[in-house]
Amino acid sequence: MMPLIMTDAGEENIIRRVGGSPEMKKHLEDMGFVAGSAVTVMNTIGGNLIVKIKESRVAISKEMAQKIMV
Amino acid sequence: MANQLRIALAGNPNSGKTTLFNKLTGSNQFVGNWPGVTVEKKEGKLIVDKEVVLTDLPGIYSLSPYTLEEVVARNYLIEEKPDAILNIVDATNLERNLYLTTQLTELGIPVVIALNMMDLVKKAGDSINVKELSRQLGCKIVEISALKGDGVKEAALAAIEAAKTGKTVPQHTFSGPVEHALAHIEEVTVHDLPEERQRWYAIKLFERDEKVMEQLKIPASTRAHIENDIAAAEKELDDDAESIITNERYVYIGETLKGIYKKKGKGQLSVSDKIDKIVTNRILALPIFAIVMFLVYALAMGKSVADGGISLGTFLTDWANDVLGGAWLTDGSRAILESWGAAPWLVGLISDGIFAGVGAVLGFVPQMLVLFLMLCLLEDCGYMARIAFIMDRIFRRFGLSGKSFIPMLVGTGCGIPGVMASRTIENERDRRMTIMTTTFMPCGAKMPIIGLIAGALFGGSTWVAVSAYFIGVAAIVISGIMLKKTKMFAGDPAPFVMELPAYHLPAWGNVLRGTWERGWSFIKRAGTVIVISSIVIWFLTSFGSVNGHFGMVDDLYADETVVTDEYVSQVADRMGIPEDEVEPMDDSLLARVAQPVSVVFKPLGFGDWKPTAATVTGLVAKEEVVANFGIMYAYDDKEGEEELEENGDQIWDRVAEDFNAFSDGHGRLAAYAFMIFNLLCAPCFAAIGAIKREMNSRKWTWFAIAYQCGFAWVIGFIVWQVGRLFVGGMNIVGLVIALVLLGLLCWQLFKPYKESQKLTVK
Repeated sequence: MMPLIMTDAGEENIIRRVGGSPEMKKHLEDMGFVAGSAVTVMNTIGGNLIVKIKESRVAISKEMAQKIMV
Repeated sequence: MANQLRIALAGNPNSGKTTLFNKLTGSNQFVGNWPGVTVEKKEGKLIVDKEVVLTDLPGIYSLSPYTLEEVVARNYLIEEKPDAILNIVDATNLERNLYLTTQLTELGIPVVIALNMMDLVKKAGDSINVKELSRQLGCKIVEISALKGDGVKEAALAAIEAAKTGKTVPQHTFSGPVEHALAHIEEVTVHDLPEERQRWYAIKLFERDEKVMEQLKIPASTRAHIENDIAAAEKELDDDAESIITNERYVYIGETLKGIYKKKGKGQLSVSDKIDKIVTNRILALPIFAIVMFLVYALAMGKSVADGGISLGTFLTDWANDVLGGAWLTDGSRAILESWGAAPWLVGLISDGIFAGVGAVLGFVPQMLVLFLMLCLLEDCGYMARIAFIMDRIFRRFGLSGKSFIPMLVGTGCGIPGVMASRTIENERDRRMTIMTTTFMPCGAKMPIIGLIAGALFGGSTWVAVSAYFIGVAAIVISGIMLKKTKMFAGDPAPFVMELPAYHLPAWGNVLRGTWERGWSFIKRAGTVIVISSIVIWFLTSFGSVNGHFGMVDDLYADETVVTDEYVSQVADRMGIPEDEVEPMDDSLLARVAQPVSVVFKPLGFGDWKPTAATVTGLVAKEEVVANFGIMYAYDDKEGEEELEENGDQIWDRVAEDFNAFSDGHGRLAAYAFMIFNLLCAPCFAAIGAIKREMNSRKWTWFAIAYQCGFAWVIGFIVWQVGRLFVGGMNIVGLVIALVLLGLLCWQLFKPYKESQKLTVK
């Protein structure tokens, strides 16, 4: 397992676990970041990421990307 | 009407909900706020059946209680119990959208799905077996294209039908351990509730939803009882209850879509992704952003097309100021009133008071509308979300989120919509801080002040204007850092997460509607406050008590039996000016009130009644500052010879002379301190009103005003006192205090954040 932030752009990964505060975790899960989902980093800028999850593009900050384990 | 049908429109953000709502209701809309919060509430009557009210719920991903929007939406659904839910689902992002659908079907309210953007799915070569999906989910599905209007009517009729007769029973079940716990919870807690709602409540109790626990008044003993069931399920499935439910919903959707949703292409980059590769590229992102912003401002408030620029907004504003405001409203109304033989005071009140004041504000409307149009375009095509993302890294350094940037952007046009734009920030702390600091940006109405100071004392140097923007940005940065270290705002800004909608061509209907809504609220709010305040200001500058006689000061001064030589020397004494400079206005109520107040600004170098009065009236509207300078420095436009230019260049010499006179020759420094104070202090009444609405709290509104004024005073004080160290005439006491204040500022700026507030990675 490694945090999402370490993965290469364009490479599809499977989410293993989502950490963080209960609120943050729930919000991420509601947006589709659940264990077993495919996730792809599309782009990074200054540590922030644009990721593809389900069919949507979601911008997340570094702090959040560190808590999504793939 | 008691038996009026009510339908709620629910769906994910960016699913085309607003477009569908507009298509379904046309112009029959009422906009308000949800009770107690500043989330916008829109309702409308259906075009197909005027007896049916459609309520637009906020765009949400889930019915969990974490964001304001989610709480608002679910409270409405549970407490108001609409007759049906029309759930708009984005077919291009089916899994994520159906996640909300699974929750909606549990509420015991008939659900009809409007499957949007099916045309895009087909175009991509994918297919969805809609009939089978409808059977699996247990609710009717209507294919629509909200943008084109296809199927919209059918969706509305299906929702009405469902509201009258329909029933939706959730088709999905959870895994064994969860269902076991749910059955227990239903049995001990919710069996008194109507049958169709029991399941939703049971699931929420399983998730330990605090709000539902409070609502149902579950006694502690029962809580402990069901806690055993929840803990057992959690242990068996090795996850927390909320995540179990979320995961199982997604698993269910994934299973359901197998065989229903056939995807052809996979893994290709969409057009939107390709645009993002360039627009959010780590090197190109900021330059592209700068160019876009430059274009927006050049078009809205740059050089007028009449002067060889590209700004339509400035062109129309010039016209509105010179022709509409100046010639038609002010002079026109005066001519008409005089021809009717109206009393001079009445002509003064209506023409110079009301119409001149309102005209000044209306003059900004074209620039505002062009600016709003540009911002709405950026928002509708999807770029605005990217701006927030690009700016987030930078803003995070001083305790604000990237979403705070948009209010500040809008604030450079006008603070009112700027403050209103803070609504998109979910975190209350971040939102409050954004509201407090947004109005530091020099808005359109502050530009004339900058122009006046630059022109009168700095030979028209452009650096004054540049420094004004710099001061605005610096004030936001410094305030962000300082406030973040207070107890009230401590803690990191909420981690950034934001969906980036796919780029698309703007839907003109939405853009124009959005522009008009923002513009109209500007006109309405500014209009009402300005009318009242213009009357007050006109009264205060025109009337006064002269040698024991009360009346219009111009009339009284014309009467030599009232204004004796002896009286003139008294006035000169009181105001601290030579006798030959005594003017009627020195006896106006405004001068009388402003003179004692000016003590407050003595330590800032402009403790004279004229700049004081201008500053105070600036609270009414920042345009009033220059307008008042025009009146007070005896520029006489009552003869109608020429208009006072917006930058007030006719009075520059007198302003410079006066500033030099009361500041012992340090007019430039005093004027600069004056400008800083006016840029940073509390905004105009209309913007304060917006702050109050968005803060939704009297206490916070007062805190914001006090902070802004206090900060402005301290900065002005430091500039004046420390500045005189260099230009001469330094005051040792003032300097020491200024250095102490500066030291306190720096201390607050550089002291470390509280250790416990740092993010810890679990």
